[in-house]
Amino acid sequence: MSALEIKHLFGLRGVSKHDIRLILDNAKQFREILERPVKKVPSLRGMTVVNLFFENSTRTRTSFELAEKRLSADTVNFTSSNSSVKKGETLVDTLRNIEAMKIDIVVVRHKGTGVPKFLADNSDAIIVNAGDGAHEHPTQALLDMLTIEEKLGTLEGKNVTIVGDIRHSRVARSNLWGMTTMGAHVTLCGPSTLVPRNTELMDKVTWESDVKKAVKNADAIIALRLQKERMDDALLPSMREYRNTFGITHELLECAKDKVLIMHPGPINRGVELDSEIADGENSVILNQVTNGVAVRMAVLYLLAGGRANA
Amino acid sequence: MPNMVLNNVRPFVDGKFGEPTKMCLVDGKWADSAPEGTPEFDAKGALALPALFGLGLDFKEPLRDDIYTFKDGVSAMRRGGFFGGLYESSANPIDDSQKLTAMQQLASKSGLEFAFLGAFSMGYQCKDLAEMMELAQGGAVGFGDGNQDASRTRFLRLAMEYGSMTGKRFFFMPLDDSLRHHGLVHEGCYSDTLGMKGIPRIAETIAAFRILEMARFLKVPVHFKQVSCGETLKLVETARAQGVDVTCDVDIYHLLLDDSCLFDLDSHCNVPMPFRSAEDREALWKGLESETVKAISVNHDPVLRQDKEVNFEDAVPGAVSLEVALGAIWKPLSGRLGAARAVELLSTAPAQLAGVEPAALRKGGQASLVLLDQDRPTKVVPAMFAGKTRNTPLLGKELPSSIVASYINGVWTEV
Repeated sequence: MSALEIKHLFGLRGVSKHDIRLILDNAKQFREILERPVKKVPSLRGMTVVNLFFENSTRTRTSFELAEKRLSADTVNFTSSNSSVKKGETLVDTLRNIEAMKIDIVVVRHKGTGVPKFLADNSDAIIVNAGDGAHEHPTQALLDMLTIEEKLGTLEGKNVTIVGDIRHSRVARSNLWGMTTMGAHVTLCGPSTLVPRNTELMDKVTWESDVKKAVKNADAIIALRLQKERMDDALLPSMREYRNTFGITHELLECAKDKVLIMHPGPINRGVELDSEIADGENSVILNQVTNGVAVRMAVLYLLAGGRANA
Repeated sequence: MPNMVLNNVRPFVDGKFGEPTKMCLVDGKWADSAPEGTPEFDAKGALALPALFGLGLDFKEPLRDDIYTFKDGVSAMRRGGFFGGLYESSANPIDDSQKLTAMQQLASKSGLEFAFLGAFSMGYQCKDLAEMMELAQGGAVGFGDGNQDASRTRFLRLAMEYGSMTGKRFFFMPLDDSLRHHGLVHEGCYSDTLGMKGIPRIAETIAAFRILEMARFLKVPVHFKQVSCGETLKLVETARAQGVDVTCDVDIYHLLLDDSCLFDLDSHCNVPMPFRSAEDREALWKGLESETVKAISVNHDPVLRQDKEVNFEDAVPGAVSLEVALGAIWKPLSGRLGAARAVELLSTAPAQLAGVEPAALRKGGQASLVLLDQDRPTKVVPAMFAGKTRNTPLLGKELPSSIVASYINGVWTEV
């Protein structure tokens, strides 16, 4: 087995094409396993994975948990709502206590940027980022890439448009790094209060304020979830206006290619960033994304654990 | 007072460092000779600078003496070569004369020179005026509300208007809280790449402009602490040209670091005034050259390890600097601006700003000095620091120069 160059998965910025390719290729194999009647492999037997979720998450945590179980790992869930964190324990103490119980891999989600790296600096465990602040959500981007490759054959030369709250989106950031590394052309589009102003370091992508132009040549459109808090914070006037200007609707898709893939990281605000008939329509690959999420996470865990075993 | 004979030392006299010579330090003064048996120290060609003056000291005592004490701070000052400092605590607002007296009593035992800023509002709340007349009579050299944003404009007007009777300067760290909006870092390409909430430059310039307009209107002298961007310096220059009495300082770390350090996500880089872009950093250096900037500040702000050993966004902002400031800044500063201006920015001007007689080296005069081996690098390690804090972005890094010892008001401290 070829090994990953990375020892942990913090994000996709700076991750090589070799590593992304390796993860996607492995994920394709795991995807096949997931279609079998017996979906379990013994790859991580004897290893313990802790899902350390400081932010609420159902989908990502369930997806990781399934991936871990299908790799035969022992899995422990640790959420901040029922943990010692509520009692004032620091992040480092939480980690060291868990580590003292001899765990091998930590899957972490936290509101703070860079928490996965911080944990890696303070522990011997393999760290996998399941979302840190608005920074990165690498496994979501990897499953997005896997889905596009599955449907379109390759990412190389494909046009991927991401629409919505780019400024606060870890999904958008991971995707822009990962997809550009794999040769896709990425266009980002959103209201001016929801896109970053300083994009010098994100110069391999196209920034477009006109959503019709942004989707025109797209092979895939990723609609981002719009958080309700954005209205409370006066970043947008209303959900209604957002839907009418940046929502993925039939009218908008008249400007796009017929077979454009419609994607969403979930959970969807139907009728806001994505109309129901589009979400459930023939171009939608949203449920494929969910399935691919398990395969991608299996690949990430398997390859990172394998790297450690071979070290 | 202990005496000391320094051999092979290059004292800073009349604006320059002389050839290696012998200095007899007797009873805190530079004497012609020393009594027989006085210990000797081979300075090995080290520079003897007039001891420094630190703008922005916060030793946390009494309310947060679990973090740091006045004694810790004094020890840090001696290690770093500081003979005095301007004290303003975020934890302990000096908002009445009893508190001022208590701090002055603490300081009086230290053997160092302290000046104190009084608060202009009770508890830094921008609600009730502090008794500024009494504070001024008690010895407060100016007024400031810590690093709080004075965005309640009417209150600011009344505070400055009332305080104008004292003739004292008002000190502000200009940062508009509303525009800051929970941001911790400079709003720029690094924060946007990392998805971190940023503080735009306009949070500083709008606050600065509001204060400058108030200073112009009320004819009150003001000072901006820790200016971090070039646009603020332009506002200062314009206001000054129009007759406003405005001074400003830049923080030592802002001259050394910019927001590119954010990619390391080191919580030690979480400081009250964010490190801005490389262009801003260069503008601050130009501000030193043009003399728009009056002085370099240290803003010594101890934070406990457990409050820094967390991820960046959960860390308590602040950095200690007294022990590392000179070793870090001397070479770049004297290299770019010359030794005389470097001494002025680190020692003379900060003391003048606080109304304290600056240290100077003259035969026969008081001799508070710091010995610096400017060409011997030193690694920043926890043992360098007084107290139990070591929260500096330079921890583990190498400084271009090393402090060898200090002799301040007759106390010899070898580092």
